[in-house]
Amino acid sequence: MFDVLPDRVPWYVVGPGLGLLIIGLFVLANQPLGASGAYVQTAGLLRRRSGVAVWRVWYFVGMFAGGLLVTQVLRSSQGVRSGYDALVDVFPLAVVIPMVFAGATLLGYGAAMAGGCTSGHGLCGTAQRSPASAAVTATFMATGIATTFLLSVLTGGDL
Amino acid sequence: MRLNLIGLLFGAMFGGLLAGARLHEYDTIHAMLSLDEPDVFLLMGSAIAVSAPVLWWLERQGFTTPFGGGFSLSRSRPQAHHIKGGALFGIGWAIAGTCPAPALVMVSSGAMLGLVAIPGIFLGLYLRERQMQAGQHVGDGEHREVRPTGAPRIDRVST
Repeated sequence: MFDVLPDRVPWYVVGPGLGLLIIGLFVLANQPLGASGAYVQTAGLLRRRSGVAVWRVWYFVGMFAGGLLVTQVLRSSQGVRSGYDALVDVFPLAVVIPMVFAGATLLGYGAAMAGGCTSGHGLCGTAQRSPASAAVTATFMATGIATTFLLSVLTGGDL
Repeated sequence: MRLNLIGLLFGAMFGGLLAGARLHEYDTIHAMLSLDEPDVFLLMGSAIAVSAPVLWWLERQGFTTPFGGGFSLSRSRPQAHHIKGGALFGIGWAIAGTCPAPALVMVSSGAMLGLVAIPGIFLGLYLRERQMQAGQHVGDGEHREVRPTGAPRIDRVST
């Protein structure tokens, strides 16, 4: 709408900004700035489970709302980027959709098994100096990079 | 009640920052994991570099947070489930080009493949939960709450 943000806010603004959010949430509520836990709590609420951390559901809604504010209000919302241009160039949509679904299922399963994802382990866990988080982070970075290179090879360098 | 507001605000700021850096776009994650650009690594590194020393200092102060009880950091030893889960997470991350928090922002940005990724993540989390024995508390995707295998906690060295 207003187009007041640069096309991409640089890492040296967003990175330290995330660092301050991590500190803020620990100082106020002694909680990690994670994401997969918010999915679990939201699923728990929808399934009417007891003992749901309702504030995590608000946090889940907040992530969506914050994205909405930046992408639709602060940034020009014209010409939505799918973000999947590279993938859609290589595969037809009939392949991309099941591919994204399968990848997302795999990462959800892996996050539940590891007890956290890129934010819970990658950022907050390592910031707490947890050896388990450092191990998880090193592992997903390694398999992520290896898988990306494997996909590149399998697609003849197209991806 | 106030915790819900904190959740909403921190979720929104988190989602907003991710959107600012375009972390919700496949292209950004793909460029990172194919080692084409260092931005996301630097982003994550700077978030940890900012937060880790402050968390370390706060832990030594031993103060009480206004909404979450005593300030405490959580550390655990790496176990097999961390490595296996992290490995699967990395593979899914590379294939789908997204992870739990950016997938929500993907939808707010108008990229409809987010509506494919989010159910996939929910399914993956659910499959892992179902796999765990009934009655056993399943790690709810957040580092600090996860002790499904009775992972021993590394006691803090008192200073």
